[in-house]
Amino acid sequence: MTRRLLSASIYVMTSLMGVAAFLYPFWLPAVAAQNNVGLAHAGDAPLVLTLLAGCAFAVLLLEVQDVAANAKVVALLGVLVAINSVLRFAEVAIPGPGGFSPIFLLIVLTGYVFGGRMGFLMGALTLFVSGIITGSAGPWLPYQMFTAGWMGMSAVLCRPLVRLLGGEGKWTEVALLALFAGIWGLLYGAVMNIWFWPYLTASDGGGPGLYWSPGMSIAMTLRRFGAFYLATSLLWDLMRFGGNVALMLVAGMPVLRVLHRFRRRFIFVYRPAPTPTEESRPVATAAYRKAAA
Amino acid sequence: MIHFTNLSFTYPGAEQPALDNVNLDVPAGDFALLVGPSGAGKSTLLRCLNGLTPHFSGGLITGEVRVAGLDPVAASPAGMSTHVGFVFQDPEAQFVLDRVEDEIAFALENAAMAPQEMRIRVEETLDLLDLAHLRDRPLTDLSGGEKQRVAIAAALALRPPILVLDEPTSQLDPKSAEDVLTALVRLNADLGLTIVLAEHRLERVLPFVDTLLYLPAQGAVLSGDPRDVLAQTALGPPLIRLGKAKGWTPLPLTIKEGLRFVRAEERSLGTAETAVEERSFGATELTVQNVEGGYGRNAVLKGVSLTLRGGEVTALMGRNGAGKTTLLRSIAGLTRPARGHILLNGEEITQKPVAEICRRIGYLPQNPDNLLFAETVGEELDITLRNHGLHPGQGGAPPVEPMALLTRLGLARKADAYPRDLSIGERQRAALAALLVTKPEVLLLDEPTRGLDYAAKDALTALLRGWRDEGLAIMVVTHDVELAAQLADRVIIMSQGEIIADGPPAQVMGASPLFAPQVARLYPDTGWLTVEDVLGAENQK
Amino acid sequence: MSERLFIHPLAWLIWLLAAVAVLTVTRNPIYLGLTLLWVGLTYAIVKRFWRESAGAPIFSPLAFALFVILVSTIFNGLTVHVGRLTLFTLPPSIPLLGGKVTGEALLYGALNGAALAGLFVAFAVVSRVVGVRALIRLAPRAYYAAAVVASIAVTYVPATRRHFEQVREAQAIRGHAMTSTRSWLPLALPLLIGGLERALQLAEAMMARGFAGTPEEETPLYPRLLALAGLAAILAGWLLRLVWQQALPGGTLMLAGGVMLAIALRETGRRHPHTVYRPDAWTPTGLLVGLAALLTLLLFFLPVPGLSRESIYYYPYYQSLWPDFNLWLGLATWGLLAPAAALIFDVMRNEE
Repeated sequence: MTRRLLSASIYVMTSLMGVAAFLYPFWLPAVAAQNNVGLAHAGDAPLVLTLLAGCAFAVLLLEVQDVAANAKVVALLGVLVAINSVLRFAEVAIPGPGGFSPIFLLIVLTGYVFGGRMGFLMGALTLFVSGIITGSAGPWLPYQMFTAGWMGMSAVLCRPLVRLLGGEGKWTEVALLALFAGIWGLLYGAVMNIWFWPYLTASDGGGPGLYWSPGMSIAMTLRRFGAFYLATSLLWDLMRFGGNVALMLVAGMPVLRVLHRFRRRFIFVYRPAPTPTEESRPVATAAYRKAAA
Repeated sequence: MIHFTNLSFTYPGAEQPALDNVNLDVPAGDFALLVGPSGAGKSTLLRCLNGLTPHFSGGLITGEVRVAGLDPVAASPAGMSTHVGFVFQDPEAQFVLDRVEDEIAFALENAAMAPQEMRIRVEETLDLLDLAHLRDRPLTDLSGGEKQRVAIAAALALRPPILVLDEPTSQLDPKSAEDVLTALVRLNADLGLTIVLAEHRLERVLPFVDTLLYLPAQGAVLSGDPRDVLAQTALGPPLIRLGKAKGWTPLPLTIKEGLRFVRAEERSLGTAETAVEERSFGATELTVQNVEGGYGRNAVLKGVSLTLRGGEVTALMGRNGAGKTTLLRSIAGLTRPARGHILLNGEEITQKPVAEICRRIGYLPQNPDNLLFAETVGEELDITLRNHGLHPGQGGAPPVEPMALLTRLGLARKADAYPRDLSIGERQRAALAALLVTKPEVLLLDEPTRGLDYAAKDALTALLRGWRDEGLAIMVVTHDVELAAQLADRVIIMSQGEIIADGPPAQVMGASPLFAPQVARLYPDTGWLTVEDVLGAENQK
Repeated sequence: MSERLFIHPLAWLIWLLAAVAVLTVTRNPIYLGLTLLWVGLTYAIVKRFWRESAGAPIFSPLAFALFVILVSTIFNGLTVHVGRLTLFTLPPSIPLLGGKVTGEALLYGALNGAALAGLFVAFAVVSRVVGVRALIRLAPRAYYAAAVVASIAVTYVPATRRHFEQVREAQAIRGHAMTSTRSWLPLALPLLIGGLERALQLAEAMMARGFAGTPEEETPLYPRLLALAGLAAILAGWLLRLVWQQALPGGTLMLAGGVMLAIALRETGRRHPHTVYRPDAWTPTGLLVGLAALLTLLLFFLPVPGLSRESIYYYPYYQSLWPDFNLWLGLATWGLLAPAAALIFDVMRNEE
């Protein structure tokens, strides 16, 4: 009970901090203006917030890592990350539609089938390994890892919705997952924009007229961000949205079937007799019946 | 060292126990060989030695296991790791790191060994398996045999007194397999390591085996002196089968021992008249003319010409890297030859799309698993038909009735099974079904007997013979000399991208020390290749 | 053993951190220019002389830098209508873009772009010299499980690529052709199924070699609690500094939070006893590189007595166009030149 409470508070705390750190260009100016913060403090805000997000990531990783407590889960994740990294090569090699990437499918489905913690590890480690070996690592890498981790982690939230919509194996399950992957495709793009937005709009406060310089309203900042987003990224993000939806609709069901087929073999943890596990109980009774006969 | 008392084990959800009342003993320092048909539970039995059964799979275990004085079920696989080293089938699927040295150190790192001690341990282990010259190499650069030796080294790094190997050579070519088995024999002889080995290739290890364990599909485990156990079972290499048929005692385990009996035999020196059957060829004719090419810049094939005819099985043999697989891939259109022509019934197919070529030429690659992904075996056939536009749903007519094909392949009852749950032999036949449903005129197989047990090999041989008699042109790339001796009507030997020998098996294989089957070694200059040849000739007399 | 230059990966990471921090915080053209120069020089020298490249970036950093600077200049110039040096005026009826286009706005946009480009080049340097294996080895022991996952992934990438080729061929010979999105399934599914089967075999092999995780329910709670508390302390300290202007108590609280986090990681790490075979060694050169970068970082960010840090911030719109310059801060950027200097020195010594 205590453990679950602790886990829950870690998830909430780190996620809130992460969101706050990602969104600071929109709220920091208002706070700074209210308190009449000088140049010096607002100036290193991006750096401090990056550090804060980093700490939140570290704590969250520590928490979710508990799921990788046995060799099976470690091996499973390792191999799945390898497969996703190979798909990333395909993405890098094919100069096709900009935002589309095949890696999100497995991240979402891993989180959905194996749980949020594995989803987080899958997302974060996929971006880490594939980013480095494909040579597409850059200052954006930590943000990609965090965002993709969230994507995998939150996929578990689809489970109750799927149950509500009529359960597993129906077309609604895949439709919901497709929508989920699509929305995350957009969110991922937005976060990737936000990380360098402050660079693009200056980070040291001061005079008026700047994007998030003190005294500027959140509405104004959002408006400018919106304009920037429309001009530079929306097209890419829409392609990612479409790609994720299409990929999930086409491959979601067969991949889910495969993951479910293997699920029990990976998640299973042996607990010796005399308390037979859920799995071995029916066998045990069958064997005893046979022995008695 | 190893004692099983009334051990039974049932997998979760299974009706029948996988191991039923097994009793056996292996003394310390023994080289124990575990044999038996596929599916009899050899892998399950081996995994009982370090607790992977039941810790990995779950299930119900009863009876008692003692290994090095411990109960593996209670000790768990991690606890057993310092007592039992374990090496698995697939050399590709057991590595965590990608450098030889690091991989060997992985187990030591996990055991939190002090760095200085770890250095010494790694050095010793490298020397033990003669890997010192490869220490810095990435694992992906190594050959299959070298990889398996690294896996053995990694398993031995914790210095367990027992080494267990589950068919470590089934994915390897004979040369690599021999390297691995030789290394095992040396470890057993020099260090007194207790070895338990499950293996299909008996020829190489039988002379060194102290205890032979025979795990039948049904019934009690036989264990004891190899000669005694072999006398009670049907399996064994040709030498053993011949020895049993002729009543040689004690049963010879090596060609050298066998030759003693042969020399003592009263034998008419008359030449063997192996009946040369006149077979009628089918209409199909595949002609390869001066094909050159291969991967990238370096030509693997240097002007290969041959003709395959319907109603004939050709065995293509040769060293690794001789160009055998490249030749098959060139015919199937997967590698486009740089020069030369390939004609099927007089029609040029060299530049045709792969799909079009492969509808008429079936090609079974080395790992048939890569073909299978559908939910059922039946669906696999449908997918191929749909790929070629032959599915009834598309208005096409399947050239072969799918169900009839499955029945012929012994898979009728497995039509609704998940392909990946089948045994290795069944998976191979499922892959064959997925290829043959287009009724090709030519069938090419790459190493089809790798990893198969004797029964599955015999089944495959019978199937291929049947298709040959119906006019199919078949070419088998194989290292398995006994298969070639049994099956082939014609043997081709390649070396360095060229054909160096081409003719009837008795002529080509009988003369070559490298490719001679056991019977040809026992009876040189007779033209006999198989046990049936010898016994047949004797009956005629 | 050949005496080749070795710089500990951690020294490279400190270098990266220093470069990122300086580039993020300053818009002073002089500091920015110096930093960019050192980072660019390091990239050129590393590209020319570093023995092996762990991973080359997918696109040329120079082209990317120019692109970023261009985009940033145009964007800032068109959307910020502040400054004295008016170049021309766009009709005010255009939303957002309407207004005067000033030299200051263009300049500031270019500086922003330059900082971003510098970040990219600094990352490109490190991804060339620090391989993925070295990075994984740097992970604190508390993250051992995640590190093993990453390690397995790196090991299996080449095997998976080969496997993908085999699957592609195996499907081609049964007549598979790429006609639609659905055509990816026959390629992806065998890859996935084969991968999962491999993962099971790998897990068995790892268990047999003594890799045992700790059952979840046995992990103690207090390190986790400590981590959470540390995180909260860092957050609170920062807010204290930012919102309530309490620099000293806020800073102390942040420091305390950091220490709590470190202890939490240490305690978690102790639960995975584990040693390293042939760990990366700190050479004098490596140490020097790390210390030099650390010095840059400290001079720019710690309140050093007698060092005015106001010149870090530069704002051309209403202030003077000519930036302030502090000699000590200018010299501090030189710390980033250490790895390039070490490399050149090493090359020259070897040529003798």
